[in-house]
Amino acid sequence: MEKKLEVKNLVISFRTSNGKVQAVRNISFDVAKGETLAIVGESGSGKSVTSKAVLGILAGNSIIEGGEIIYDGRDLLKISEEEFHKIRGDKIAMIFQDPMSSLNPIVKIGRQLTEAMILKNKARRRECRDNFNSYLKMLEQNMTEAVAKGDSAKAAELAKKCRDFDKFEYKHIELEAAYNDARESAVEAVSELENLVFELDKKVDKDVKRRVAEVSGMAKKSCHTYLVNAKQAQLVKLADELPNIAAQEKEGKDYAKTIAAMNEMLPILKDALALDAPNFFALGYYETFANAAVPEKTIPELNVFMRRYLDDNFMLSFIRDAKEALIYSAEKSYKQKEEAIAFFQEKRSVFTREQLDKKECMEVYKACEKKVQETIDRMEIHKDGLLYTFSTGLKGEIEKYFDGIKKNEREKARYTKQKAKYDALAAKGKEPEWKVVPASYTDLELVKHNICGQIDALTAHYKELLDQRGQRDFDAETVAVIDYLKESASGVVEKVTKRIAKEKAIKLMEEVGIPEPRTRYNQYPFEFSGGMRQRIVIAIALAANPDILICDEPTTALDVTIQAQILELINRLKRERNISVIFITHDLGVVANMADRVAVMYAGKIVEYGTAQDIFYEAAHPYTWALLSSMPDLDTTEKLDAIPGTPPNMIYPPVGDAFAARNKYALKIDFEQEPPMFGISDTHYAATWLLHPDAPKVEPPKIVTSRIERMKNRREAGDGEE
Amino acid sequence: MEKNNEEVLLKIDHLCQYFKMGKSELKAVDDVSFDIKKGEVFGLVGESGCGKTTTGRSIIKLYNVTSGNIYFKGVRIGAGIRSYKNAIEKARAEYNEKKTAGLSAEEDARLKKELDAFVGEQKAAIKAAKYDQKNCDKEYAQQRVAQVKEKYEPLLAKAAPAEKEKLAKEYKNELRKAKNTKLVTQIQMIFQDPIASLDPRLTVREIIAEGLIIQGERDKEVIDRKVYEMLEMVGLVREHASRYPHEFSGGQRQRIGVARSIIMNPDMIIADEPVSALDVSVQAQVINLLNELREKFGLTILFVAHDLSVVKYFSDRIGVMYFGKLVEMAPSDELFKNPLHPYTKSLLSAIPLPDPIYEKQRVRIVYNPLAEHDYTVDKPSLREIKPGHFIQCNEAEYKKYMEELK
Repeated sequence: MEKKLEVKNLVISFRTSNGKVQAVRNISFDVAKGETLAIVGESGSGKSVTSKAVLGILAGNSIIEGGEIIYDGRDLLKISEEEFHKIRGDKIAMIFQDPMSSLNPIVKIGRQLTEAMILKNKARRRECRDNFNSYLKMLEQNMTEAVAKGDSAKAAELAKKCRDFDKFEYKHIELEAAYNDARESAVEAVSELENLVFELDKKVDKDVKRRVAEVSGMAKKSCHTYLVNAKQAQLVKLADELPNIAAQEKEGKDYAKTIAAMNEMLPILKDALALDAPNFFALGYYETFANAAVPEKTIPELNVFMRRYLDDNFMLSFIRDAKEALIYSAEKSYKQKEEAIAFFQEKRSVFTREQLDKKECMEVYKACEKKVQETIDRMEIHKDGLLYTFSTGLKGEIEKYFDGIKKNEREKARYTKQKAKYDALAAKGKEPEWKVVPASYTDLELVKHNICGQIDALTAHYKELLDQRGQRDFDAETVAVIDYLKESASGVVEKVTKRIAKEKAIKLMEEVGIPEPRTRYNQYPFEFSGGMRQRIVIAIALAANPDILICDEPTTALDVTIQAQILELINRLKRERNISVIFITHDLGVVANMADRVAVMYAGKIVEYGTAQDIFYEAAHPYTWALLSSMPDLDTTEKLDAIPGTPPNMIYPPVGDAFAARNKYALKIDFEQEPPMFGISDTHYAATWLLHPDAPKVEPPKIVTSRIERMKNRREAGDGEE
Repeated sequence: MEKNNEEVLLKIDHLCQYFKMGKSELKAVDDVSFDIKKGEVFGLVGESGCGKTTTGRSIIKLYNVTSGNIYFKGVRIGAGIRSYKNAIEKARAEYNEKKTAGLSAEEDARLKKELDAFVGEQKAAIKAAKYDQKNCDKEYAQQRVAQVKEKYEPLLAKAAPAEKEKLAKEYKNELRKAKNTKLVTQIQMIFQDPIASLDPRLTVREIIAEGLIIQGERDKEVIDRKVYEMLEMVGLVREHASRYPHEFSGGQRQRIGVARSIIMNPDMIIADEPVSALDVSVQAQVINLLNELREKFGLTILFVAHDLSVVKYFSDRIGVMYFGKLVEMAPSDELFKNPLHPYTKSLLSAIPLPDPIYEKQRVRIVYNPLAEHDYTVDKPSLREIKPGHFIQCNEAEYKKYMEELK
């Protein structure tokens, strides 16, 4: 599984007037593509803080003390605010807990929905154009070097090929966009027609005239050469007449004629939708370069014809050249990598000396950075995360050490001064009121170990890459390159104007289940109920089509039916768009529905981590038991097992297991020493001493075991029926 | 004033609560009737915007009822006049229709007389409703004053001169309190949002004691004693009294809300989603607390919530509301065992359970009133299908549901 987001050893604390609150204490997790990770815990356990760190919107008094958040080959904790702007809301979107405060009360809903769309679209188009142009340029350059090898005629030919590709690619996108618009209108028209027929049949006539007019508009929009071809004239005629027919009929009476007309339109549209889509990529090439009209054929025949035309005239040779270019570039970078391995082995000794010299270290760091940059194969689509994050990590280690020395010297001076006073007092036989704590020295050995560890990891990574060089599938990679170019080009053509944004917003509002989106579009947030507002927030988050969606208790303020709808909505969108979801909640019932994997957090730490089934059927940590037993379900009759007390004060985190004080299964060691993560299975980990081989055997509370038993019985009974 | 069955503490009779929205009207609560017996927990569930909170608020007279009656302890505490007005209009229209159709002078006079009599009746009812709506507290206070007078006047007459002064002072105090009592304060409300429902500028002591002070309690010692008592009862400590709400966690704040409502020694509590805004672990604490208090004081609770698992756990009877109407009402076990109304079914199918394998298979039933019901000819009403099990249906559906039950 491709890992979308990785959080490693994250430590976050907050400066407050009372002291430093340690909100997140060394947590690590990852999210794969298309997966839902649920983070469960009480309020104050640090789950929201973690998610906010991922989005880079921590409060001003927060200190990120360590760790990494790796997304798309970059460490989000180290990139600049400018770069973060491009990711935030666009690639990583968030649904906030409180729908009241996450909408602007004085701006209309429509504006709030479309604002980001228009802005992001502008930025995205610029970015896509840059990406497309720079990549094509790079491809051209590599092609020239790999294939032409100084032959200028050949080079000119290659350059022309790239320009041609550029040209027809845009044509393709335009054609496809037009087709998609028409198709979407057709789909909408069909569903709206079916609704209207159904409702008129049931004698509900609300806004019939407006809706009929809309339907007729949609039907007309769905006329397209490859969609409603032969019956286009008939459809247009019907669509034109429909509003008139509806207008003539008396309101409140049956709409027999209107229904008849609509029933006539339905099969035309449905037939059109059953057709295959033409291959627009090939068609784009044909229309641009063939200088001939598109032949009259059925769509499958046309597709075969176009494909062959494209392959014969352009694509096969282009792919061949592109593959050459890729191999060339890869070979070049392999050579660089071999050099880099030697370079690092030579320079490693700088960091293993008795004393480190700052100037020398920084010089070596700069040289390393340059070397690493050279080894990156820019033609590769999938970015190698380690190569991009290496130099910042190295720099951080070096700077941390040298900054630490300065601080330590100050501390040392203070220490000697105070120590003298302390000793003087003690010598007089008095009891000094204060204690002197010696300054901690920065551990040189550890620093050296860290730095060398990083360099060794990189060298090992290079060696691994070099070992795998024979296994690379350049054919597949070439196809990926072409797809990447296609995608970038489509990003440039996708222009979002105010009107389009409005249509999109209305469609989104419909998608998230808001009735009468057209009237709702022009309303203010206060005119919406809580559930509706949350839907708007989800619509805003989805407007940018994000990679990762962070849901911070999205349904806590909503009721059961709306909650179920919103969860289904998030699940559906996750499936359709293959996005990764981080789902933060305290409600385990919701988690069972949503999560593939679950992380239970308490006092800034992950105490249990596993798949949903691990957590619900084989929970191992007492805190998870407590969470499970404090929620009633439909069969619960006994007194609920509330967790006594409150979470600990994180200014002074407790020694040992943070949950020990509220835990009735606490052992003596829980108060003295922090439990490590015990692995229960490959996917399931829990941090509790109860899993230690020497620990006494403890059964989970009865309310939990009996529920698991009940669930098992019900499932078996259900299976028996099927 | 009417008297009712002793056992029923609160009786809602055809309650309607409409809000003006420009030209149109929003029917937040539309013809809802139920009653709550003493010591019972009645759960009211439904999606947001279905009028369950409005029902609760109408009961404690935060709104002026549009139509219908609310009886508390047999006393009418809220009454609307819309139904009477409509009846008058309808009668007049009927009369006019007949008149235009042509009537003999004799018959016309007879009908006119009938109409006038009817209108007179309705107008009297309107007057009575308006009076009750406005003055139910006043009358209750008068009763209390009479009681106090009855108790103290003979004592005062008999008392020795030395004690007389003290007694007179006490009498005066009691009299003032009696004058300020309100019947409606015996119904108290716990609000949904523990953060927004507490005044951030008052200390916890002031928040909890506010009701007492309004009722005329001036003795600081008594107030303090009661406040501490309440704090300890809800699981907080005395030291908390001098703190401000923002210093507490969500669960503790909700406890303060509970303390504020029970210090008035109410007979009934309207709990408006008291646990929806809380963490699961804290939810359990608050539910356990409410359960304890209920056993201790024999409280009657109207529990408004949308979390069906909690409602099932907590309530004796449950009413399901949909768009201002009560669609089904039954004892909680019965409702979960035999849900009949399609909306109830859809609601039950939406409950998430802590069981991933089951959850993956769970299919939510979608409720579409247009597809489910055909009310074009036969209008629905609330019918009793089984003892204690009511359902909103028309004749055809009634038969269908009866079949289902068998």
